[in-house]
Amino acid sequence: MALTLIAFLFAGPLLAQEGGGTRDEGDAAAFARAGGDLISQTPAQELLERPAPRLPDGSPDFSGLWIGSGPIRDIGLGLLPGEEIVLLPEAKVLMESRLAKDDPEANCLPTGVPRIAPYPWRIVQAPLSGQATHLFFLFEGNIHSYRQIFMDGRGHPEDLDPTWYGHSIGHWEGDTLVIDTVGFNDRFWFDFRGHPHTEQLRTIERYTRTNYGTLEKIVTIIDPGAYEKPFTVQFDATLRPDWELMEYICNENNQDVQHIQGPASE
Amino acid sequence: MNNFFAVVVSGALLCSATSAIAHHSFAAQYDADKPVTLQGVVTKVEWTNPHARFYVDVEDEEGKVVNWNLELASPNILRRNGWSRNFVEEGDEVTVEGSLARDGSKMANALAVSLADGTRILSRE
Repeated sequence: MALTLIAFLFAGPLLAQEGGGTRDEGDAAAFARAGGDLISQTPAQELLERPAPRLPDGSPDFSGLWIGSGPIRDIGLGLLPGEEIVLLPEAKVLMESRLAKDDPEANCLPTGVPRIAPYPWRIVQAPLSGQATHLFFLFEGNIHSYRQIFMDGRGHPEDLDPTWYGHSIGHWEGDTLVIDTVGFNDRFWFDFRGHPHTEQLRTIERYTRTNYGTLEKIVTIIDPGAYEKPFTVQFDATLRPDWELMEYICNENNQDVQHIQGPASE
Repeated sequence: MNNFFAVVVSGALLCSATSAIAHHSFAAQYDADKPVTLQGVVTKVEWTNPHARFYVDVEDEEGKVVNWNLELASPNILRRNGWSRNFVEEGDEVTVEGSLARDGSKMANALAVSLADGTRILSRE
């Protein structure tokens, strides 16, 4: 068993083909040579601080396995300077009435947007050559799920059924990916604290890969049904070139909710 | 074997900061201010999501055996921290350090598991 584990620890980084660049084994070999901590599988700082990679056509390459980002506990933790969250009275009453056991995430339902589960997620661009028409965000948790972002110039349909991830259209502004999403249902919470929203929610996400290992995520929440004014938060993700998505079927043995006590809290 | 577990413990320590969170609020289910140490025999292991669990028969002060439900992180987090589903097996004599469930049920979040040979394995929710 020990040998298996050690083989796994060393094979992970060497097999990694993440994050674009030349997409050859040069990146993985560089990872191994750079002296990353193979026991903890912490990628080498030297690799993560390299410039962000690009696709052959010059556009930024966001593909890879990302961890971190948010919100998870409290969307307010990501507020940019000068920003504030002002709940409308009805939304305030709703938030204060929420119980921790009713958090959809605790019940193995999807996170919605912009919430992130504390598990990794992978960005896949399609097609790989030429201009991407679709981006897919593949989530390990909170359930195995995905978001699709249309990059082909289409607009939002007029008659959308409300859904957990809404309808997302994206475009590039320089090296920043801008995703505009509408058509959300009102069922997910923004965080453990139970920040609410309505079906009027619109999110504008701005992603910039500031270096090889960092994906900056700045999101503006626009929901005149729940908030007095829009607000903008930032939660950045970190690349894990040495990890792969793993299975996480949340509802196979979820005993938690019957034991979770009290109001929604961090 | 000792070296192997030393690796595991260091991995768990390094990863504990990022894995101390799950798909629900820890504080809503467990009370970090109510630590508990339980000693007994493992009766079952569930390597399942959203949490791996193991159950331990513990004799209370009156000699009555009570089966405790002990929660670990999810298998994906445990794997990335260097755990294996075989670390704790049915029949093992273990000592578990954890945090008690808030609702008073015979349930705890396991922070560390010590085996009969003295090996102590760390976990974080």
